[in-house]
Amino acid sequence: MIMDAANLQSQTRRHFFGQCGMGLGSIALASMMDERAMANSLNSFAPKQPHFAPKAKNVIFLFMAGGPSHLDLFDWKPELKRRHGQSIPDSFTKGKRFAFMNSSFKDANKLQGTIRDFKQHGQCGMWVSECFPHIGTVADELTLVRTCKTELFNHAPAKLFMNTGTGLFGRPSMGSWVTYGIGTESRDLPGFMVLQSGPRGPRGGGVNWASGFLPTSFQGVPLRGNGDPILNLASPKGIDGVRQRNSIDAVRALNLKRAMETGDPEIQTRIASYEMAYRMQTSAPELIDIKSESKATLDLYGAQPGKASFANNCLLARRLVERGVRFVQLYHTNWDSHGGPSQTLTKDFDKVTKDVDQPCAALIRDLKARGLLDDTLVIWGGEFGRTPMGEKRETPGRNHHIDAFSMWFAGGGIKPGNLVGETDEFGFGAAKDECHVHDLHATILHQLGLDHERLTFRFQGRDFRLTDVKGKVIKQMLA
Amino acid sequence: MSNSTRLIAMTFWRTIFCISAFGALVLEGGEGEHWAFLKPQRHNPPKVKQADWPRNAIDYFILGELEKKKLAPSPQAEKTTLLRRVHLDLIGLPPSSAEVHAFLADQRPDAFERVVDKLLASPHYGERWGRFWLDAARYADSDGYSHDAPRVMWRYRDWVIASFNADQPFDQFVIEQLAGDMLPKATQAQRIATGFHRNTQINTEGGVDKEQFRVDSIFDRIATTGEVMFGLTFGCAQCHDHKFDPFKQVEFYRMFAFFNQVDEPRVETPTVAESKARAAHDAKVKSLQVKVNGAEKGTDEQKKNQKELVAMKKKRPGATTSLVMRQRKSPRKTFRFVKGNFTRPSEEVQPGVPAVLHPFPNQEKANRLEFARWVASPENPLLARVTVNRMWQHHFGAGLVETENDFGTQGTRPTNHALLDWLATEFMRVKWSRKAMHRLIVTSATYRQSSKRRSDLTQTDPYNQLLGRQTRLRLEGEIIRDNALAISGLLSRKMSGPGVFPPQPDGCMNLGQHARSWKASTGENRFRRAVYTFRWRATPHPALKVFDTPDAFAACTRRLRSNTPLQALTLLNDPAYFEINVGFARRILKGRQGSDAQKLRFAFRLCLAREPDAAETKILSGVLQRELAAFAKTPAEAEALLKGYETGGLPKPGLAAWTMVARVLMNTDETITRE
Repeated sequence: MIMDAANLQSQTRRHFFGQCGMGLGSIALASMMDERAMANSLNSFAPKQPHFAPKAKNVIFLFMAGGPSHLDLFDWKPELKRRHGQSIPDSFTKGKRFAFMNSSFKDANKLQGTIRDFKQHGQCGMWVSECFPHIGTVADELTLVRTCKTELFNHAPAKLFMNTGTGLFGRPSMGSWVTYGIGTESRDLPGFMVLQSGPRGPRGGGVNWASGFLPTSFQGVPLRGNGDPILNLASPKGIDGVRQRNSIDAVRALNLKRAMETGDPEIQTRIASYEMAYRMQTSAPELIDIKSESKATLDLYGAQPGKASFANNCLLARRLVERGVRFVQLYHTNWDSHGGPSQTLTKDFDKVTKDVDQPCAALIRDLKARGLLDDTLVIWGGEFGRTPMGEKRETPGRNHHIDAFSMWFAGGGIKPGNLVGETDEFGFGAAKDECHVHDLHATILHQLGLDHERLTFRFQGRDFRLTDVKGKVIKQMLA
Repeated sequence: MSNSTRLIAMTFWRTIFCISAFGALVLEGGEGEHWAFLKPQRHNPPKVKQADWPRNAIDYFILGELEKKKLAPSPQAEKTTLLRRVHLDLIGLPPSSAEVHAFLADQRPDAFERVVDKLLASPHYGERWGRFWLDAARYADSDGYSHDAPRVMWRYRDWVIASFNADQPFDQFVIEQLAGDMLPKATQAQRIATGFHRNTQINTEGGVDKEQFRVDSIFDRIATTGEVMFGLTFGCAQCHDHKFDPFKQVEFYRMFAFFNQVDEPRVETPTVAESKARAAHDAKVKSLQVKVNGAEKGTDEQKKNQKELVAMKKKRPGATTSLVMRQRKSPRKTFRFVKGNFTRPSEEVQPGVPAVLHPFPNQEKANRLEFARWVASPENPLLARVTVNRMWQHHFGAGLVETENDFGTQGTRPTNHALLDWLATEFMRVKWSRKAMHRLIVTSATYRQSSKRRSDLTQTDPYNQLLGRQTRLRLEGEIIRDNALAISGLLSRKMSGPGVFPPQPDGCMNLGQHARSWKASTGENRFRRAVYTFRWRATPHPALKVFDTPDAFAACTRRLRSNTPLQALTLLNDPAYFEINVGFARRILKGRQGSDAQKLRFAFRLCLAREPDAAETKILSGVLQRELAAFAKTPAEAEALLKGYETGGLPKPGLAAWTMVARVLMNTDETITRE
């Protein structure tokens, strides 16, 4: 279906140029054309038909970089606590490989119970730890998947796996696939935007939102915390809006003339790109200006204008989907709770959970209050979970763990107040309904009206997919 | 976005096409008879009706196909267009005013051939064409993966450029990169060449299993060798037998065995200057040593010399290092990995090559050097084809086989099989001379055609596969910058050496795991060609990345040409480009005396080689007059605009107005396009 649309688009272009002569009359004709219609017909960002009727239009992915401990947040394991200090039975770990196998994690096989209190929340009775009091209050909006499974246990490859479906660099991230597949509704902003908060950038950096072999038009555009919100957004000093407009008009006039002389539709796309750039110069500063929000809204998130924070980013995420941006991804560090300095499961864990708790709950509430939650799929999770066995560093921590970890989903046709999958008594692996990252990807695309087996791109001689050759839609997650 | 749209559409057609191609393959008898596995055949060029059009053999093949569809080729491009095209294609820099004048005045029948010869002899040719090879070699100045630590690898980059400039025969070029270290009496340059396969990523993240990443590097080496030198997807057989092409998984591991005997050291590779400095130092040490040895022991002078000698020995000048391959002494055994998983070794395998390709000559001496010779052998049905196909791709926008890295059964068939094979055999006939092939291609009538669209061609051949015209191509990221620097007169033509740091906006280096610094180079290094820009993998230079320069995580044999608003923001607002615009304005004001109209013409010709017409002149003088008036009225705006930039002592209102004109010209589509 996507292919047909693309074909049609190029047909339309050819038609346009086939019919137009080379004279000034056609320049006038082109400038008389509705700007938006022209931009859309020429722009790969333009909304495209999905494979079937979508449940969600937009995605907000709250990426908890570093691997949050499911055992201290969502996966309550009294048995683990009871057997704290005992060795984990060999049957669990035989043949498994872990990070830091040869150093700090060597011989680490002692079970480690959580130090956090858990209680049940909402009608659905979801267990949530004391670290997430606010998220607990929206439990009835969420589907919690406790049996997520990934393949790779080092940060950068695992993050790539969560974003691109493979640990190899150079593949498109989910946001790129989605904007490639269905375009964006935003006329004034890129379709895939990325925001970051926390003490450092996520491991792997920009490759997490890169478009890989898809055209760069589909790469995630970082909304920057300081300086220009988008790279090179501000005109050089001494160039105000009028002067910029005049310059772009001159460029446009020269380009239109050349388009008519050469018949090259690429010049029309260039003209549309300059128009979009000009609109972004106005729309992006307006977007990041959260001072215009009511005090009640700012307080709901705990957002403070002018301060870079996860809370501010959650509020910006809502403002982005309001403006039709298709895929918004927020990264927050650092969840890497090994137990070393600044990685403790006590003080540092308190801090990172507090950073995100209120804003996450606020985002759900705010989207719902504005009628946006039905159309917006919110995803919360990191690249993997943590081991039920303790890791002995300066303080007791947990190592990277790929066999089971928790993620939650809300809105966008996801079943509210819903629990999917159960782990074994230690939260080591799935006891029921394992949900592999490929399955999660298939489900996310499904909610957007995309068949993960049909969303393909040919590269290096084969048709690539976000889900590689696997993935099945997880029916239990759907409303 | 015609290219992306095009690719999407292609995927659609290919899906259908492949089904039929696959069906046809079965009819032909299946495995082993796919066209690309058979040696290229040299057929005589076809007869054509329009006999006065062809200039060389290429044109007969092209015209033959056009005439079958009753299509005529396009007229030759304007002389200025042609000159700018061939300059940008061969050296990646625009012609100077003097070069334009000289070419327009030269009425000799071989005026264009003379230009081509001059360009192929220019050292800038190696910078231009070496960069494409560096894409394929996934060259970068950092390790990749999450830490992306810096590495010293520029000796390899310079080796590639030098090889292009020396027109080293391509088969030798390949052999040295795959196994230069194993050649008899291997030179330092030949060892540096093996850096080709040391451009793999290195993972220095905590907690990793080193063996896993060693194995991953070898996977990458095989996939890259397949893609770059065969146009085949060997990598597909890493986990299972190839789904479409006749490669068995075990054959993947036979090739793995060649690369499994590689050690991966970092070695000193002193430059000429470093070697000289060392030799001078060593001579000094030696003479002092003689003095010390000769002197009577215990004397003050002897003690003083002895002390000085010890100090001097510690100060031996350093040498640049490079990552190279080295054959290891104690061989490793190689196993097939079940599903490509290195923790699941299966049966042991011996070195070898896929059976469907040409035979490996010397199984007893099956080592990496023999493998390299096998790859570069004239018996290889693919090396010459994929290489000329990529040259063609750069000169026309698409290869004769559009899937330039997949000549397998899933790739597209050649649009002109006879021409592809003729070019491949010609490449071997001219002893693998790359310059000879470029000369042949760019002096053809096919290359010289106008790139203007024609409705009859658009109807019959919408993707221009028959090449009844040339193609307009947006310049590559590096060339957009090099071109702007050349136009503005700021360009430094200094070659080689460590990577440099042209300015970029603050904050871009924070996007990786580590916030690194990017201290912008000053002086000449600020304005070097982009092939010398330091290449971080995780945080590539944003003004290059935005124009689709590859990130070097894997081999790249074809760049996309996207067309996005972020590119517009870069050219309009990036302070680095603005600095170039101010430089361009200085050049216009200082380089051309006379009226504003004359200055405008001068500026226009610097950008586009051609003269502006009346409409263009009107648009640009409109900008100039408006800005001259505005800055004269409020000189403070001119102050603000030029603050921090070199004014060259020119009055600011005038310079500001011309900067605005320069900026419009630099942002024009035609300036960043070769037509």
